[in-house]
Amino acid sequence: MSPTDLRSRPIIEVKDVRKEYPIGDETVVALKRINLNVMRGEICCIFGTSGSGKSTLLNQLAGMEKPTRGEVRIGGVPISRLNENQLAAFRQKHLGFVFQSYNLLPNLTATENVALPLLFRGVPRQQREAAARKLLCRVGLSHRLDHFPGQMSGGQQQRAGIARAFIARPDVVFADEPTGNLDSKTTVEIMDMICTFARDYHQTIILVTHDPEMASYADRIVTLIDGEIIRNEVNQKEKSQ
Amino acid sequence: MKPKDLFRMCIQNLLRRKSRTFLTVLGVFIGCCSIVIMVSLGIGMKESQEKTLAKMGDLTIITVNAPQSGKGKSKLDDKLIKRLKNLEGVEAVTAKLNLDAEVVTLLAGSSKRFISDWASVVGIDTDEMERLGYRLVEGNTAHRSGEVVVGQYLAYNFRDTMRPEGRNMVDRWSGDMDEEGNLTNVPPPYLDPMKEKLTLEVESEGNKVTLPITAVGMSKEDYSKGGETSDGIMMSLSDLRKLVEKLQGNKKKAIPYNSVLVKVTGIDQVEGVEKEIKSMGYNTESMESIRKPMEQEARQKQMMLGGLGAISLLVAALGITNTMIMSISERTREIGIMKSLGCYVTDIRVMFLSEAGAIGFLGGLIGCIVSAAASITINLVSLGMDPDNLLPAIVGGEEIQRVSIVPPWLLLFAIVFSVFIGLGSGYYPANKAVRIPALEAIKSE
Repeated sequence: MSPTDLRSRPIIEVKDVRKEYPIGDETVVALKRINLNVMRGEICCIFGTSGSGKSTLLNQLAGMEKPTRGEVRIGGVPISRLNENQLAAFRQKHLGFVFQSYNLLPNLTATENVALPLLFRGVPRQQREAAARKLLCRVGLSHRLDHFPGQMSGGQQQRAGIARAFIARPDVVFADEPTGNLDSKTTVEIMDMICTFARDYHQTIILVTHDPEMASYADRIVTLIDGEIIRNEVNQKEKSQ
Repeated sequence: MKPKDLFRMCIQNLLRRKSRTFLTVLGVFIGCCSIVIMVSLGIGMKESQEKTLAKMGDLTIITVNAPQSGKGKSKLDDKLIKRLKNLEGVEAVTAKLNLDAEVVTLLAGSSKRFISDWASVVGIDTDEMERLGYRLVEGNTAHRSGEVVVGQYLAYNFRDTMRPEGRNMVDRWSGDMDEEGNLTNVPPPYLDPMKEKLTLEVESEGNKVTLPITAVGMSKEDYSKGGETSDGIMMSLSDLRKLVEKLQGNKKKAIPYNSVLVKVTGIDQVEGVEKEIKSMGYNTESMESIRKPMEQEARQKQMMLGGLGAISLLVAALGITNTMIMSISERTREIGIMKSLGCYVTDIRVMFLSEAGAIGFLGGLIGCIVSAAASITINLVSLGMDPDNLLPAIVGGEEIQRVSIVPPWLLLFAIVFSVFIGLGSGYYPANKAVRIPALEAIKSE
């Protein structure tokens, strides 16, 4: 394989994924038969209304749940077949998360929160906190380094959350409704920030949202209805820019 | 995660809920205190028992006698001594030969003013006296021929020929007794056998032998070794043999030993060595037969007291489990977040176990400090509140009976035990924490 082939190989490969949940005696099918490829460096938006199965799909992609059938590969690794420890190691190296409700640990300062993924990797304290401070300055929180999450606004918390997701230079960052709790002005700031990071480091972003406006930031828009992909299109507007 | 980071996180998490952590630690502290104090009382009881016994005699001496029946088979001879010396746990061995004669008179003083009409004379291996545990109140052990060690109270056996009949002896028992049964105000004897020239006159079967002897040492009374340590004379085996041979005159008879004393290295060795000697076909005697039941009783009491203490620590363990479960249910989301950020399952388990262990350790540590202080206070109260008693209350002393004794191993054990209780009670909550899925991070509140 030539380098071009390597690059052209999708970083995320979803093959025939089906997910069922038992609810009482009945079985609810959340994902019917999903096939999806996401290329390296792409910003992919999974778009759907609530109940469409988009969150379930994110869970499968990020290895939070095991699919009932089918397989998810990230960078060639079948993450749906890893055990908990392998998964933790894989997450440390390759995955980042931005959550809707920020999910910063309340008893840690902004710096400590951002440094958390490096702490799990066993990076010495000085080194990881220096990196965290640098990144926090980049997201415009140089004046909030030693503040606790409770002392910061939602937008500031989410910026710290973004710094945390990118600090370990993951291959893929999952963003689950990252601006769901923010006002429209902050939403633009946050989305710009995510996209800038992704472009700078050639990282892949999986953006899950129900907001059509958000989709405009994406290179590719995957629309989900009732556990099925009904549209998978390249965002022409974005491309033409 | 690095151990240093785990440690920092553990402390941070414990400090998050200060009052809860404090109360849980308090529970462990009370449990630890009750165990340490209860066991220390038990040890104090055992030690004072042993001290009382030790006053009666050396606890590590076994007396070996020839069996009554089956004569000729198991004799007390030099071969046996050699065998006994080679037994494991044996410190020293001596044969004992009693002088058996019709008349044994001891004369002392210038012109033989003081006369003892009877004296028990025993031959032992005088070179081994020190290792056998004979304690001397004065002087040294006998090494040369003609030298003897006399009993502590030998002087009271003499009568003074210069005084009128009926008032010519000093009664050692005429003094008073204190609470513990020790004699006080003992009247002084007429003479000091160490300073007088002594002459032994022995008569048997018509033969009479006179032997000048010199007392070089005075032994402390110890009935486990024989009455001669109180008011007899101990000389070397060879001296006594010569004496007996002279008494026998022409009739040469074998002189068998009367008994054998075996000194073992420690109290724990007594039972085993005694058993072994018995299996050789000899009779044995030791303080073990008194000490053993007493020790058993003391141990039973100690177990009972320790058990009572253990119950409170067990209750504290439930407290730890409860605290940890609460803490985990509060932190469910956090655990999910940590997992989704790539925290290893083992790190999460270690995190919670170390929190529980730290609670146990803190409780144990504080418990040890407080109970050591309490033990000293108890001793001080029992010894009398006097600054001079402070040191004896802490370290004890030869003549001091402490109510509560806290040996270092007990403190160490209490801390280790508390940590284990902490880890044990954290085990179930930690497993619960480990099973929380990363998905918890995504669930909306």
